[in-house]
Amino acid sequence: MVPISYYLLLAAALFCMGMFGVLVRRNALVVFMCVELMLNAANLTFLAFARMRGDSIGHVSAFFVIAVAAAEAAIGLAIVIAVFRSRGSVLVEDIRTMKH
Amino acid sequence: MNLSQFLQVAPVAPEVLAPSLWLIIALPLLGAFICGVFGKMLGRANVHLVACSAVAGAFILSVLAFWATSSTDPESRRLLSYFPNPFGIERDYVRYALAYDYGTWFAVGDFRVNFGLMVDHLSGTLLLVITGVGFLIHLYSTSYMEHDEAYWRYFAYLNLFVAAMLTLVLADNLVLLFVGWEGVGMASYLLIGFWYTDPAKAWAGRKAFVTNRIGDFAFLIATFLMVLLVGAFTKQADERDYLPGATSAQRYKAGLEAKGPVTFLGLQKLAEGLPDGASGKVDLSTPIASGPLEGYTFGGVMTVALLLFLLGAAGKSAQLPLYVWLPDAMAGPTPVSALIHAATMVTAGVYLFSRMSALLVLSPTAMATIAIVGALTSLLAALIAFAQDDIKKVLAYSTVSQLGIMFMGVGMGVFWAAVLHLVTHAFFKACLFLGAGSVMHGNGDETDIKKLGGLRHEMKWTWGTFLVATLAITGILPLSGFFSKDAILHGVHHNHLEGLHWVSTLVYGLGLTIAASTAFYMTRLYLLTFEGPRSKEARVAHAHESAWHMTLPLVVLAVLSVVSAVYAWPLMKAPGDGRPQPVFENFLSPVFASMNRVVEAGKVVELDTSVPTLGNYGFAWLVALVGGGVAAFLYLSFFPARAGQPAPAFARAVRRVAQNKFYVDELYELVVIRPVKFLSFVLFRVVDALLIDTVAVRGTAWVTARVGSALRYVQSGDAQAYAAVMVVALLGGIAYAFIQVLQ
Amino acid sequence: MSFFDTHLLNLVVFLPLVFAALVLMLPASEPGQIRAVTLIGMLVDLVVGVWAYTRFDPSGAEFQLEYRVHWFKEFGLSYHLGVDGLAVSLLLLTVFLGPLVVLASTTYISHRIKEFHLALLVLQTTMLGALVSLDVLLFYIFFEAMLIPMYLMVGVWGAEDRQMAAVKFFLYTLVGSLLMLVALIAVYFISAPAGARSFDYASMYNGLLEANRQLNACRVGPEGACASLTGLAGTLYTYGPWMFAAFALAFAIKVPMWPVHTWLPDAHVQAPVAGSMILAGVMLKMGTFGFWRYAIPFFPVAAQQARPLLATLSVIGIVYGALMCLAQRDIKKLIAYSSVSHLGYCMLGMLAVTAEGATGSAYQMLNHGVSTGALFLLFGFLYERRHSRLMADFGGIAKVMPVFTAFFVIITFSSVAVPGTNGFIGEFLVLLGTFKSDLGAAAGNPHLTMVFGAFATLGVILGAAYMLWMVQKVFFGSLTHRENQHLRDIGLRETLTVLPFIALVGVMGLMPQPFLERLTPSTDRFIARARVGIPGAPQAEQVRVEVMSLPSSPTAAAPQAPTPLAARDVPSPRQ
Repeated sequence: MVPISYYLLLAAALFCMGMFGVLVRRNALVVFMCVELMLNAANLTFLAFARMRGDSIGHVSAFFVIAVAAAEAAIGLAIVIAVFRSRGSVLVEDIRTMKH
Repeated sequence: MNLSQFLQVAPVAPEVLAPSLWLIIALPLLGAFICGVFGKMLGRANVHLVACSAVAGAFILSVLAFWATSSTDPESRRLLSYFPNPFGIERDYVRYALAYDYGTWFAVGDFRVNFGLMVDHLSGTLLLVITGVGFLIHLYSTSYMEHDEAYWRYFAYLNLFVAAMLTLVLADNLVLLFVGWEGVGMASYLLIGFWYTDPAKAWAGRKAFVTNRIGDFAFLIATFLMVLLVGAFTKQADERDYLPGATSAQRYKAGLEAKGPVTFLGLQKLAEGLPDGASGKVDLSTPIASGPLEGYTFGGVMTVALLLFLLGAAGKSAQLPLYVWLPDAMAGPTPVSALIHAATMVTAGVYLFSRMSALLVLSPTAMATIAIVGALTSLLAALIAFAQDDIKKVLAYSTVSQLGIMFMGVGMGVFWAAVLHLVTHAFFKACLFLGAGSVMHGNGDETDIKKLGGLRHEMKWTWGTFLVATLAITGILPLSGFFSKDAILHGVHHNHLEGLHWVSTLVYGLGLTIAASTAFYMTRLYLLTFEGPRSKEARVAHAHESAWHMTLPLVVLAVLSVVSAVYAWPLMKAPGDGRPQPVFENFLSPVFASMNRVVEAGKVVELDTSVPTLGNYGFAWLVALVGGGVAAFLYLSFFPARAGQPAPAFARAVRRVAQNKFYVDELYELVVIRPVKFLSFVLFRVVDALLIDTVAVRGTAWVTARVGSALRYVQSGDAQAYAAVMVVALLGGIAYAFIQVLQ
Repeated sequence: MSFFDTHLLNLVVFLPLVFAALVLMLPASEPGQIRAVTLIGMLVDLVVGVWAYTRFDPSGAEFQLEYRVHWFKEFGLSYHLGVDGLAVSLLLLTVFLGPLVVLASTTYISHRIKEFHLALLVLQTTMLGALVSLDVLLFYIFFEAMLIPMYLMVGVWGAEDRQMAAVKFFLYTLVGSLLMLVALIAVYFISAPAGARSFDYASMYNGLLEANRQLNACRVGPEGACASLTGLAGTLYTYGPWMFAAFALAFAIKVPMWPVHTWLPDAHVQAPVAGSMILAGVMLKMGTFGFWRYAIPFFPVAAQQARPLLATLSVIGIVYGALMCLAQRDIKKLIAYSSVSHLGYCMLGMLAVTAEGATGSAYQMLNHGVSTGALFLLFGFLYERRHSRLMADFGGIAKVMPVFTAFFVIITFSSVAVPGTNGFIGEFLVLLGTFKSDLGAAAGNPHLTMVFGAFATLGVILGAAYMLWMVQKVFFGSLTHRENQHLRDIGLRETLTVLPFIALVGVMGLMPQPFLERLTPSTDRFIARARVGIPGAPQAEQVRVEVMSLPSSPTAAAPQAPTPLAARDVPSPRQ
C-alpha cells in the first residue's frame, strides 16, 4: 500500500505550485491554469481521504469540484476574451482600473 | 368739621381704595401705551393731554391713598387704615397702611412672588412726590419739547417711567420692587438715549443701563441670600425666636406660604427675631447649619447681603463706584434729568434701605459702609462740581453729592431725615434742573455757564425760582434743604454704631465739608449764570423768558422748597415720652417702628432722638455762609479783577483734574472695559476660532481625511495583490490552527 | 373614547406629514398654493397641539394622552407615544413656531419652494415625534431624522458658505448620537433579562432603578462596597459612567454646551431665517430635553458624579458665550452665541436639582424659543432688505425703520431678562435654584455654590452689554450708509408674524402660572429621579415610571385608557 501521506504531500505540493502561479504569473490564461491546478490538488486530497476512510463522500465531493471548476473556467475564459477584445491585452497588470 | 378733622377723615375709605391701588400704576402705563402706539395719529395736543392727565389721575389717586393711610373714624377717633399682618399673630396689625394682594405672579417649590401693593406713610410720601413732581415735569415738557418731532415717543417713555417708579414704591416684596427697579432703568435708557441719532447720546443711555445692571447683579445675589436666610431661619429657629416679632412659627410659615419669602413684612419679622441676646435659638452669631451657606453666621450673611444691596443701590442712586452714568445721563432732555436723575429714580436706593431699615440696623458694619460710601461719594462729586462749566453737569454732580448725604443719613440710622431730604431735594433739584432747562431754552440751548451771565434781568421768573432753589440747597437762607440736611448731619453726629464710633465723627466732619462745598459750587453756578455782565460769547443777544408751561412748575417747586421746611421743625410730641419731635419723624414713626424695636433689642446701634439746638443751626448756617461767601468773593470780585491774567500752573492743573472728573471714567475704561473687550477678543480668536474650531473640530475632520488618503493606497487595483493578502490571511489561520493543536 | 382622544398625539405628529403629501402633489410652479397649503397644515397642527396642551392635566398621571401598539415584538420595540408636562410645553412651542416660520419664509425663499416647504413639514413631524416618543429607540429614530431636513435647509437654501455649515452641523451632531445609540443598545441589554427586554422608556427606567438605588446606597457605605457589587448594580458601577458619558455627549452637542458648541454659529449664520428660527427655537431644546428625560434619570449616580463638571461647563458657557458676543461683527453670529449663553442657564438650572432651578430651566427653554426665535425672525426681515449680516453695514436705521426698531428693542429686553418680560422669570428661577442648590456640596465644598451662582449671575451684566451694544451699532447713531436711507419699515405680513412673539413675551412675563403649573409636576418627578443618585438625599417613594401596557391582542390597535397612578403593578412590557 502506498501510504496516504504521499498522496497528501503530492496534493500539497501541487496546491502550492498552483498558488504560487496565481500570485506571480502575468498572463491571465496561465493564472486560470494555475487555479485549475489548485482545484485538482484539492480533488486529490479528497480522493486520498476517501480511500483512507473507505466511504464515497470524498468521491462525491470531487465530482462537485470538477463540475464547479468547469463552470468557472467557462465563465472566466469568457471574461478574459471580453477583456482582450476591449483592452487588447491579457496581462493581469494591464487591468488596473480599480486603482485609486 | 374743623381742618384737622377734615384732614383725618379720608374721602375714600381704606377698604374701598385698597383694591384699586393698581390703578395708580395702570393709568400711566395706559398713557404710555396710547402715546406710544397711537401718538403719531393723535397729534401733539392730544398726546399732551393723554400723558399729563394720566399722571394727574395717578396724582389724584395717590392723594386719596395718602389721605387714606391716616384715615380715622370721625366719631370714635379710631384708626381705620390698618390691615392684619400676614406674618403676625391674630391681633398683629400694620397700622397707617393700606395693602392689597392681587394674586400670584409666579410660584415654584416653596418660593412665591405675589402682585402685592402696599401704601404706608413712606410709600405714600413718595407717591405724592413721584406723581406730583412728575405731573409738573410733564407740564413743563409740553413746552420744552414743542419743537421736537418725536414728542409722542417722549411722552410714552415718560409715562412708562412714572409707571415703573410707582411699581417700585408700591411693591410689598423685593421681587416686585425689582420689577420697578429695572423698569426705571429701562425707561432711563430709553429717555437718555432719546435723541438717538447722536451716537454719543445713545452711548450715554447704554452706559447708564449697563452700569445699573452691575448694581442689579448685586441686587439679585442679595435677594437670593435673603431667601436662603429666611429658609435657614425657619429651619433652625424654635418658638421663642418668633416672640419678639409678635408672631409664632406656625403663623410665620403660613405667611411664607401665602406671600413668599421676600415680602418686606416677613423680612421685618425675621429682623425682629434675629438680634443677639433676643430669646430663642437663632441670633446673629448662630452659624447656619446646612445648605450652601453652611458655617457662616446669620449676621455675617446678613452683612454681606446688605453690602450687596448697597452695591445695587449704588448703581441706581449713583454712588461710588457706580456713579459714572449720571453725569453722562445729562445727554437726555432736561426734563428727563429733572424727573429721573433728580427727583425719582436715583432716590430708589434710599427708598430701598428705608424699606429694609429693620434689617439694616442688624449690621453696624453695613451701616458704617453705607455712611462712608455716601460721604466719600458726596465729597468727590462736590469737588468735581467745583470745576464743571456745563450747567447740567454741575447739577448732576450736585445730585450725586446730595444722594451721598442721604446715604450718610441712612447709614447712620436717621432714616426719617434721609427721606425728608429726599423729598426736599426732589423739590429744589427739580426746580434747579427745570430752571436750567429754561435757561437753555431761552439762550439757544447754551449750557456753558461761562458763556452766560446777566440773566437776572432778562428771565425774571427763572431767576427768582432758581435763586430760591439755590438758597434751599445751600442753606444760605434757611429754607427746606437747610433743615433736612442739618437733620441728617445732626443724626449722623449723635447716632453711634457699636465699635465704630469714629465713623460718626468722620462722617460728620465730611458732612460739614460737603455742606460748605455745596454752598460754594451752587453759588458759583448761580452767580455765573444769572449775575454779572452778559458774556461776550453768548449765543443770543437777549434771552427770552419761557412760556407759562415752564415757569408755573418752577414757581410751584420753589414754593414747595420753601414750605417743606416745616416738616423738619420739632412741632409734634413724640408718643410715649412727649419730647419734641420733628413733624416728619413723627409722621414716619409707624413705618420705622419695627426698626426701632430691632435697635432696642440689638443694642448695637444707638439712635439719638434729640433735636438740633439753635446753636447747632447757627453753626450749620455759618458753614453754609462761609462756602457761599468764598464763592461770591471769588466770582464777583477776585476772578473778574484778574480777567485776562493767566492763573498759576498749580491752580490750572487742579482745575483740569477736577474738570476731567478725576479721571475716574478713564480708570474704569482701563481697568474694566478694556480687559473685558480684550478677554472676549482673545477668547474668540484663540480659544474658539483657533483651538476649538480649527484644531479640534476641523482637525478631526482633517485627520480623518488624511487617514482615508493613506488607506487608499491599499487599493492598488492589482487583483494579484488582493489575492496575496488572502493567502497571507490563510497562512496566518493555518499557523494559528497549528499552534492550537500543538498546545 | 373617541378617535380624537386616542389618536390626539398621532394627529399632532403626523398631520404635517399628511400635508407634506398634499404639497408633494402640487405643481412646483405654484409657490402661492404651496405656501398656502403648508401654512394651513401648520395652523391645523397648531390647533391640535393647543388642544393637546389644554387636555393635559397637571394633577393627573405622569404620562398622558398615551397611544401604544406593537411594532417589533422580537426586539421589544413598540410604537409608544405619550407626553408629560415638559414634553407638552415644548410641543406647544413647536406647533406655535410652525406657522410663523412659514410666514417668515414667504419672501425669503425664492427657488425650490416646494422642496423647502416639504422639508419644513417633515421637520415639524420629526421634532414633534421626538418630543412625544415614550419608546427610547423611537425617540432615537425621530432625533436622528430631524437632522436630514435641517441639513437640507441649511445646505440648499442657506448663505454663501452653506455646504460647509450643513456638513459640519450634520456630522458633528451625528457623532454624538451614534455614541448614544451604542449606549442605548447597551442599556437595552442590561436593563432586563433575555426574553423581557424592551426599548420602552418605562421598562428601561424601572429596570435600572433598583440597581441605581443600590449603587447610591453603596456610595455612602463602607469603603470598597461599590467595587464588590454584583449583577446589574456592578455593571452600572463599572460601565454606568461610560454610558452616561455617551448620552451626555450626544445631548451636550445638541444643547450646545461648551466646548462642543462651535457648530452652532456656523449653522445659524448660514441657515435661512426659517432654519435659524426652528434650530434655535426647538432643536436646541432637544439636547436639554434629552438630559431631562433620558440621560440623568437613567444614570443618576453617574450624573451626580459628573454634576460639578457639567455645572462648570454650563457656567463657562454662560460667561463665554456672552464674551464671544462682544467680539462679533456678524449679527447672526452674535445671536447664535447668545443662544449658547442662554442655554447655559437652562443646563445650570437642571443641574442644580432644585425645584426652582429645574422649573426655571424648563421655563427658560420655552422663553428662549420665543425670544431668540423672534430675534432671528426680525433679523431675517433686515437681511431680506440689505443682504448683509455685518453690523458695520448698518447704523442709524431706527430713523427709517422706527416700528421695526421698537419691536427689536422689546425682544432685546426679553433676551436681556428685564422684569416684566418672560426671560426674567426663567433667569430668576434658575439663579435662585442655583443659589439654593447643593452644587457646591457635589463638588466638594458647599460654599462653592456661591461661586457657581455669582459667575452665572454675571451673565445678567454681560447680556445687557452685548445686546445693547449690538442694538446701538445697528439702530442708533447717524445713518452712515446711503443704501440704508431707503429701507422699508416693517410691513403688515411681517408685523403679523412678529406680534405673536411680542404678545407671548408679555403674557409669559406677567402670567407665567398657567405654564408653570404644567411644568411643576414634571419638575418634581425629575428631581425625585435625580435624587436617586445623590447620596443622603431623601428618596421619594414613587419614582417608577408608570405607562400603559401593550394591548393584549397583537393585532388590536385600540389602547386602554391610562389608569391613575396609585397602586399599579409594573406593567409587563411584552405580552
